[in-house]
Amino acid sequence: MALRNGKVVYSTCKSCHGGCGVKVTVEDGVPVHIEGNPDTLTRGTMCSKGLSSIQHIDSPYRLKYPMKRIGPKGEGKWARISWDEALDTIAEKVKESQEKYGKESISISQGTGRGYNRYIHRLARSLGTANVISPGYVCHSPRLGLYGLVTGYGRLYCDYHGWGGEFPKTQIMWAKQLEISSADSEMCNWFIQSLDYCKNLIIIDPRASAYATRATLWLQPRPGSDCALALGMMHIIINEGLWDKEFVEDWSFGFEELKERVKEWTPEKTEEVTWVPKEKIIQAARLFAVDTPGCIQVGSSLERQANCGHTLRAITCLMGLTGNIERPGSMVSWVLPETGLIEDFFLELPLTEEMQSKIIGIDKFKMGAARTCNPDTMVKAILSGEAPVHVWISVGGQQIVHMANTKEVVAAIEKMDFMVHVDLFMGPMAQAADMVLPAAHWLELDDVYDMHPRFFVSAHNKVVDPPGEAQSDAWIFNEIGRRTAPEHWFDTIEECLDYQVRKGMEGKMKWKDFSENLVSGCWGKDQTYYKYKTDYWREGGGFPTATGKFEFYSMRMEELGYDPLPVFREPGESPYRTPELYKEYPLVMSSGFRQPFYFLGQYRNIPWLRSFMEYPMCQMHPETAAKYGVSDGDWVWIETPRGRIRQKCRTFPGVLKGMLMATANWFYPEEPAKGYHGVFISNPNVLTSNNHLDPMYGSPDLTCLLCKVTKCAEKDLQDNVFKTEEYGYVQRTSEK
Amino acid sequence: MKWGMVIDLTKCMRCHGCVAACRVEHFLPLRITWVKLIAYETDEGGVLDVTTFPVRCNQCKEAPCVDVCPTGASKQRADGIVEIEADKCIGCRYCVIACPYQNRTFLSKDKDPGYFPGYPQTRFEIKGKKLYPHQRGTTTKCNFCAEKIDYGLANGLTVGIDRDATPACVNTCQARALTFGDLDDPNSNISRLIVERKGLQLQQILGTDPSVYYVDGKIGGKDNKAPESAMTGSHIQHLSSVEARAKKVFPGSKKN
Repeated sequence: MALRNGKVVYSTCKSCHGGCGVKVTVEDGVPVHIEGNPDTLTRGTMCSKGLSSIQHIDSPYRLKYPMKRIGPKGEGKWARISWDEALDTIAEKVKESQEKYGKESISISQGTGRGYNRYIHRLARSLGTANVISPGYVCHSPRLGLYGLVTGYGRLYCDYHGWGGEFPKTQIMWAKQLEISSADSEMCNWFIQSLDYCKNLIIIDPRASAYATRATLWLQPRPGSDCALALGMMHIIINEGLWDKEFVEDWSFGFEELKERVKEWTPEKTEEVTWVPKEKIIQAARLFAVDTPGCIQVGSSLERQANCGHTLRAITCLMGLTGNIERPGSMVSWVLPETGLIEDFFLELPLTEEMQSKIIGIDKFKMGAARTCNPDTMVKAILSGEAPVHVWISVGGQQIVHMANTKEVVAAIEKMDFMVHVDLFMGPMAQAADMVLPAAHWLELDDVYDMHPRFFVSAHNKVVDPPGEAQSDAWIFNEIGRRTAPEHWFDTIEECLDYQVRKGMEGKMKWKDFSENLVSGCWGKDQTYYKYKTDYWREGGGFPTATGKFEFYSMRMEELGYDPLPVFREPGESPYRTPELYKEYPLVMSSGFRQPFYFLGQYRNIPWLRSFMEYPMCQMHPETAAKYGVSDGDWVWIETPRGRIRQKCRTFPGVLKGMLMATANWFYPEEPAKGYHGVFISNPNVLTSNNHLDPMYGSPDLTCLLCKVTKCAEKDLQDNVFKTEEYGYVQRTSEK
Repeated sequence: MKWGMVIDLTKCMRCHGCVAACRVEHFLPLRITWVKLIAYETDEGGVLDVTTFPVRCNQCKEAPCVDVCPTGASKQRADGIVEIEADKCIGCRYCVIACPYQNRTFLSKDKDPGYFPGYPQTRFEIKGKKLYPHQRGTTTKCNFCAEKIDYGLANGLTVGIDRDATPACVNTCQARALTFGDLDDPNSNISRLIVERKGLQLQQILGTDPSVYYVDGKIGGKDNKAPESAMTGSHIQHLSSVEARAKKVFPGSKKN
């Protein structure tokens, strides 16, 4: 007798950025079991998000049919329509808007999950617009851009594998919880395994992440001061003569200028700015410089700050200063699999100068708005009536939730002439749209796994049929493409998938052969290290930069009008930049920490996952909480000049004193459409400002601002929120 | 043979993967959970300690729950696993009170409102009621995936090593914080871990002799030289096994 009967289907998880191998058993067309696929690089392991997919796909709240809005925006009144009507309407609206207002009047937005990245960019480019609203500017783009600026190559990864004979001896986890996420091309699985070969683990995080109290060293910087910390560490390394002399001498540009720049960042000054005791800064700098090789894993909290460009740049300089580039066990760039770069699918359609010139925000944010628009600038432009955008095609992402200043974002979206949203469930963005299209879950579709781990290729294989008429994102975007720019799209999805893997096996690879028989593979050229010492990037060796060197000093930055060296700037609102405001709002606030069972705005509607955290909580040090008269378990108001929200207080001695760490991305799927599913109740972006943006990337201060906290009165909890049992919440007596 | 588990507190990062894997494996009703995580957070004496204790039935060798059961529904197998025979359980809940670790749950109606209360049962739930029924009015708890162990032994698999003979929580743990094996064999993976890393049982003072042990430690202090297996193992082996498979799939490729 077998342990369980049924057909086994292998696939790839996409419940976060994904990439973990999956094995599903299907009995009579029903998935009855899900676990990791042991024959993959993730060795058969899976997290709660991926495993709970088996509950997720069966949710009665799934969108099953295309629908159009029949009441006012946000009222939640919808009528079923056919796919033909939906797609033809979209094509009509697109063409109408293109003729009337120009190609730049079409905007396409995306979220982070599901793997539609390349489809939406290809659609945008095939429609001749670059006004793509991507969350990249607050997640991953700044680091790619700055790695690219300094090293000439944008994709630097931590070498957790030991393939070159050494694991990282010193690891820095900077504003990142890689242990609970498979994000940005690195997997928690590999990171945790590499800890078996790690001499020093340094955690840099204002709040104790899982390994903080067992790590070698843990630094708690004030949110928004990370650039200063990196400059201070470089000061110590240079002052003590600990830098990698050979690398700096032979392969870098601008060391003397950097030396001059970091001169002022003495340990004393760095301590004053970052709130980290100088002894710890000195120890961290020494360990990283002496115990090499080492790597730095960067978290996107740093990219949700208005000095993110320089912060990332300073951190990249720290890698180079210590020679931790392209060395086994340091920061390396992976050799691509034989199928090539997944982004080629849209990069092959050029971004013309015409398209680029129409990007919203390009005049200001020359790094972040070079290929996609600056979403915050777009919101302001829509509100002032200056935006050229009239049609918004939205997929997956919840801009209403993740962008700064929710009230303005909602007001702007409500002004759109026509918006269509593609998703699995109704949510804030769907409720603001004129039409919603039902999308398939990753267990219900065939596709190339799109995103990270750049050295291998995997397949999503369809395990079950999607509910109703839901379709894969690939199908939806191909169908819109076929109706609006047919020359760039495909007759069938299989053709589209064949095209994406065509370079594999010397041009012989077919999608079906790959997906059915291989599922996941990392064949191709072997990984190599020290690429700058070979002809890999340029003949005779060197980095693919203008100078051929690792550039501490950037002439390109100078040309664009930015500081050619990394420089620290205080957040828009901080104890030092706005001391008057600090008197009224005496807590530094961040929303940087993440929960292992949610992925950004997703999964509050999966009962198994919601059971792990029913309500959003804000964490404070017990002393801080006591100072403001709130206790563990209290519902509290968190307030900034933009507004106030309610979260539940949780006191935690692992949080930096004087700060409040709020839970991000929170809306209540169970709350009614009116009010956009409770997006104003607890979401921290109701509190954030879109007025102070990073000069390079246009990123707002989402993870560093000022707030005040007060206990909610009993009457604040009466208005029929937090009381819904429909999703299976366990209600505690104290909440009643 | 006495099955046991060692949990490495150094590595557990509170991801809840074990909880989810258990729910999937046993089609657990909505408000039943066999594996729980206990957050231990203190800064007594100015030293912060953030620890997560994953807990589940300890399969105690001296099990108080078995002693108090009036019907013999709770009993200990020869391999140490404490099991509940639902048909004999009368729902008296003596065992729930007797368990000093609070690892038993009475399956009342309100604990099983369906995955989406107010809606029809899902496909997965309906299947689960057949494949792994849970009886309302009885007590439930972790069984170390006894059904997998039995299946594995019957099919010549190694318990704790082969996935089909290893508890679901152990298989899914990304941190590899859980190890499963034979406590009676002094050379088993877990016996060695308990000795080398000074494994501790919860509340030893109670004399229940749990089969779940905890080890703790610091991260770091390790040599960073990669073993031969890292260079020739996971990546390269994977590469070659994929290439071997690839050759079958793409016979025309020049690479062959």
